[in-house]
Amino acid sequence: MGPNGAGKTTTLRAISGIIPPTSGTIRIAGFDLARQPIEAKRSLAFIPDEPHLFEYLTVEEHLRFVGRLYRVPDAPERIGPLLGELELVDKRSALPAELSRGMKQKLAIACGLLHDPKAVFFDEPLTGLDPVGIRRMKETIRRRAQLGSAVILSSHLLHMVEEVCTRVLIIQHGRLVALGTIEEIISHRHDLAGLPLEEVFLALTGNTEPPRS
Amino acid sequence: MIRVLGYLVLHTTRNRLYRQAIKLKNPRYALALILGFVYLWFLLVQPNLSTDRGASLSYEWVAMLGAVALAAMVAWGWVFGRDKAVLIYTPAEVHYLFPAPITRRQLVAYKLFRSQLVIMLNVALWVVLFGTGSRGLPWYARAAALWTLFSTIHLHRIGASFVRTSLARHGWAGAKRRMVSLTIIAVTLAAVAWGVLDALPDVSRAFQTDLSAVFQTLGEVLRRPVTTAVLLPFRLVIDPLAAGTVAEWARAMTPAVVILLLHLIWVVRSDAAFEEASVEASLERARTIEAIQRGGPPVAGRGRPPSAPIFRLAPSGWAGGAIIWKNIVAVGRTQRLRRIVLITVLFAAVFVAVLGHKRESWAGLVSGLLAGWAGVLLVFGPLWVRNDFRSDLEYADLLRAYPVGGATVVSAEAASSALVLTAAQLGLLLLALAASFGATVSGIDDASKLALFAGAVVVLPTVNLLGMLIQNGIALLFPAWVTLGPRRPSGVEALGQTMLATPPFLLALVVALAPPVVVGYAAAYFLHPALGFGAYGAGIILFLLGMGLEAFLLSEWLGGAYDRLDPSASELAGSR
Repeated sequence: MGPNGAGKTTTLRAISGIIPPTSGTIRIAGFDLARQPIEAKRSLAFIPDEPHLFEYLTVEEHLRFVGRLYRVPDAPERIGPLLGELELVDKRSALPAELSRGMKQKLAIACGLLHDPKAVFFDEPLTGLDPVGIRRMKETIRRRAQLGSAVILSSHLLHMVEEVCTRVLIIQHGRLVALGTIEEIISHRHDLAGLPLEEVFLALTGNTEPPRS
Repeated sequence: MIRVLGYLVLHTTRNRLYRQAIKLKNPRYALALILGFVYLWFLLVQPNLSTDRGASLSYEWVAMLGAVALAAMVAWGWVFGRDKAVLIYTPAEVHYLFPAPITRRQLVAYKLFRSQLVIMLNVALWVVLFGTGSRGLPWYARAAALWTLFSTIHLHRIGASFVRTSLARHGWAGAKRRMVSLTIIAVTLAAVAWGVLDALPDVSRAFQTDLSAVFQTLGEVLRRPVTTAVLLPFRLVIDPLAAGTVAEWARAMTPAVVILLLHLIWVVRSDAAFEEASVEASLERARTIEAIQRGGPPVAGRGRPPSAPIFRLAPSGWAGGAIIWKNIVAVGRTQRLRRIVLITVLFAAVFVAVLGHKRESWAGLVSGLLAGWAGVLLVFGPLWVRNDFRSDLEYADLLRAYPVGGATVVSAEAASSALVLTAAQLGLLLLALAASFGATVSGIDDASKLALFAGAVVVLPTVNLLGMLIQNGIALLFPAWVTLGPRRPSGVEALGQTMLATPPFLLALVVALAPPVVVGYAAAYFLHPALGFGAYGAGIILFLLGMGLEAFLLSEWLGGAYDRLDPSASELAGSR
C-alpha cells in the first residue's frame, strides 16, 4: 500500500524482473533474479493493472503462446480447465478486441496462472472489474495462496487489503513505512490501536493525525 | 477556438522536441545525432541525386509517368484502401476535443494542420535529397510544387476514406449521400476500363516484337483522347514539378492549387462522413489503447473468427519459436497481406489471360519485373516489414516479464520479419522462374536459372536476418527516434523519411556483409585449383558460417541491450 507515486508499481515491476533494482537482491523461489533471471521468472507471474494482450492472438492462442514460453508441456490439457475456471470457454477463439475489460483481465490472469507460479504479483487487481468480477478475483487470490503460492498485490482499496491480505507493506516515496500484520503494525503505534485500516494508513503516511480519543 | 487548437499543436510539438533534445544527454543519442548531421552535410554537398538521370528523360515523359504513377496510387487507394478513416485522432484528442464546443470543421482543420508538419518535413527532405532536378527550377518553386502534390494526395486519401466508410456503413443510403464523389469515380473507372480494353490489342501485338515497341505503344496509348482525359487531373498536379522555368512553374501551379483547394473543400465539407469515420476509428483506437496501452492496427475481419495460424505452435521447444509464431500469426491476420496476395494473383491472372498464348514474348519482361521487385524488397524490405521489435517494443513490459533471455528474444524478433521477407522474395523469384522457364532470357538458360534460384534460397535468409537485426538494433538502441508500433509513416508524403533512412541502413548492411563475402570468395578462389567446382561449395559454406557468426554476435550484443532496457523509460513510454 502507499499513496500515489509511492513506488508500488515500480516495486512490483522490479520484483517481476521487468526493471532492474537500483540496489539489493531479489530472490524468487530461491533464484537470484539478477543472476538467474530465466529460472526466477519461470517461477513467478506478474499481472498488471492494465491487461497487456497481443492484438492478433485469440484467447486460446495467448495461452498456448505463454505455455511454450514458460515450458509447460501439458499446457493444452491445462487450458480447458483454466478457461472454465475463469469463464472464458465461450471466448476461446475471440481476439482481445472482442473482449470486455473484465474478460481481458481474466485472460491476463489465466496467462499468469497457466504455469502454476510459486509467486504471483498483482498490480491493482480490482481495477475496472464489476462486483461479480471483484468477488471472483478475491477468490482467485485466496485460492492461489491456499495452493501455496506467495501472492503480493498492490492496492488502494483498503477494505480489500483488510479482507484478503495476511501482511501489509506500506511505502512512501520509495521507502518502507511499515511492514507486518495489521496487529504488528499497530503494536508499534499504540495511538493507532482500534482504528480502521484507513485511519492507520493515513496516519502512517503523514496525511492526517490519528483521531484523538 | 483556432487559437486554442494552435496552442495545443504548438506546445505538443515544442514539448516533444524538448523531450527528444533531452535524450542527447545520453552519449549514444549524441553520437547518433553527430553522425546524422555528417550524413545530412554529405547529402547537401553532393551533386543532386536526380541530376544525371533526370536529364535522360524528356519533360513530357517525366510528367506522363508521374501522372500514371499517381493515378495508379489513387486507384489502389480507392479499390484496396482502408475502410477506416485516415484522419484518426488520439485518445486524448477524442476525450477532450470531441465533447468540447468545437465544430467538426474546426476539428478537421486542426488535424489537417497537424498533418502539415509531416508534409513540410518530407518536402524539406525531398528538396535536400533531389535538389532542384535537372531543369534548374529554384528550390522554393520545387518545394511549393512538392507541398501542393503531397497535400493534395493526403487530402485525397482522407476524402476517399470518408466515402469508403460511408459506403461500408450505409450501403445504398451512403451511396446516395456520396453521389457526386461516386459518380466522378465511376466515370473515371469506366474511362480507364475503356482505355485499357481499347489499348490491349495493340499492346499485345507489341509484346510479340520487342521491348522498345512495347514502350512506344504504351506512349501512344497514353496520348489517346480517353487516356489523356483520365490522366488530366493527375497531370495538372504533377506539372509544376516537371516545369523547367519559373514562368512555366507559375503557369502550372494555378490549376494544381485549384485542385488542392477543391480537395480541401471536399474534405472539410464531409462533416457527416467525418463523424462516422473519424470518431468511430478514433474511439476504436482508444479502446485498443486502453487494452494494450497503445493502439495496434485494425483487426482484420472483426466479428468474424480469425483465420487459422499458418502453423500450429508445439507446446514445448525453443522459446524463441513462440515469438516467431506470434509475429507470423499477426502478419497472416492483417488485411494488408491479403491485399498483396490478391494483387499478385490478379496481376498474374491478367498477364496469363491476355498474353498467355505468346509466352516467348513476355517471359523476359515478366520474369524481369518479378525478380526486380524481389531485389527492391532486398533493399526496402527491412524498412517495410515490421513484425518484430518495431511492433513489439510497445509490449516491452510483457516481454521482459517472460522467462526468455535477451539474445533469444532479439534473434526471434529479427527472424520473424526476416522469414516473412524471405518468403515474399522467394515467392516472387519462384514466379519469375516459372514465367521464364523454357524460354531463354538475356542469354540465361534453364540450368543457370535454377542455380541462381538455389543460390537465392541459400543466401537470402541470412542476408535478410542480418538486415533485420540491424533494423531491430536501431529500434532497441534508439527507441525515442524510431516509430514504434505496427503503423509506420506511410504514403508519398512520408517517402522522404524512408529515402533518408535507406542509405545508412544499406551502408551498415554492406559493412556487415563484407567480411563473410571476402572470406567466402577467398576460399573459393584459393581452393579452386585443388577442389575444382567443390571450391564454390566451400566458399558458400564459409560465407554462411561467417554470416551466422555475425548474426550470433549481433544477437548476443543486442540481447544485452534488451536486458538492460528499461520499459518504463520515457523513450518507450512516449511511444504509447
